[in-house]
Amino acid sequence: MAIINYANKEVQFKVVYYGPALCGKTTNLAYIHGQVNDANKGELVSLATAADRTLFFDFLPLNAVIIKGFRTKFQLYTVPGQVIYNATRQLVLRSVDGIVFVADSQWEKMEENIESFKNLQDNIGRQGQTLDNIPYILQYNKRNVPNPAPVHYLEYILNNRKVRVPSFVAVATTGQGVFATLNAVSRLLLQKFAWENEQAVSKYQRAGHLPATTSLSGIAAAQSRR
Amino acid sequence: MHTMPILTIQAVNHLLDALKDFLDKSEAGFAMIIDRGGAVLCQHGNIAESTDPAIIAALAAGSFAATKELALRIGEEEFSALHQEGEHSQIFMCAVDNDTVLVTIFGPQTTLGLVRFYSARTVKRISAALQESRTNQRAGPMFSPQDVQSIQKLFGH
Repeated sequence: MAIINYANKEVQFKVVYYGPALCGKTTNLAYIHGQVNDANKGELVSLATAADRTLFFDFLPLNAVIIKGFRTKFQLYTVPGQVIYNATRQLVLRSVDGIVFVADSQWEKMEENIESFKNLQDNIGRQGQTLDNIPYILQYNKRNVPNPAPVHYLEYILNNRKVRVPSFVAVATTGQGVFATLNAVSRLLLQKFAWENEQAVSKYQRAGHLPATTSLSGIAAAQSRR
Repeated sequence: MHTMPILTIQAVNHLLDALKDFLDKSEAGFAMIIDRGGAVLCQHGNIAESTDPAIIAALAAGSFAATKELALRIGEEEFSALHQEGEHSQIFMCAVDNDTVLVTIFGPQTTLGLVRFYSARTVKRISAALQESRTNQRAGPMFSPQDVQSIQKLFGH
């Protein structure tokens, strides 16, 4: 759930890149880290094995645009894709706001894609949530492999829930589709958040409550105490 | 699970007061309240400029969560506190409630005993402030879906 801090005037979102082993989740984050201005990114932290396989998670904090005075922040995580690390995936999914499911376009990876997507649904279910209420999008990565599975086939096996979600083709190693994916999930989150915020404010106003104080003097007072 | 999405100015002030008092008494250098998903809720004190609190929070939440899983495997619900000691710095983490953790970083200027002692009462104070914030939280106007739609570029790259 997004965290709103009225004292700092910021909103934080947690986005998790999910998918089967070696599908390119870490590569997505590495490319993003390489492209975003220093002022708007933190360090890319990878908890990986000696063979560069994700052991726990990768983490990349990003600052995005300021909207109406509120700084928006996105914390990007990856999960370890290997089947044995399911307990770790459950930990990383805690408090997730949005998900990018990265699928591997190689034919021989179709079963792993499907199993990983099912595993995502299971793990989200363990948190008492469903994919119906968490914004997510699909990225079909590794489009540069010889003879990749057709996009319509990937759509058929992965984007077949009641509501179809946005999907993007990508070659994360070259950056193709990486920012399109990140921008899409971020916009989805911001839209959902803005809509929920509007609903909440009007609900409080209808109930005759004053909105949470956001006066400049109050913010300055809080910040001067730091 | 509690909801913890809104931190009003008043709530942040209460949390900052608790952290300030804690650091004064325990003589630790830096303390932060994080949610168990890895986000920073509030921080106070000094930390090396090169150290990003967001990264400390993500790693601390991961470490605390992994330790909880270990505890479950040996029949405990949770290890309520976690301590790591290095040559120059130490880190002490303790559960505030089901959603939040207090993380303290300190050096040789103080002791683990002192940090532990004062963290116990600080945790109660933080927990009370968070509880009050949860029960009294009200959303204020921020930005609309139209504002989001009008943005050309989300990230600086």
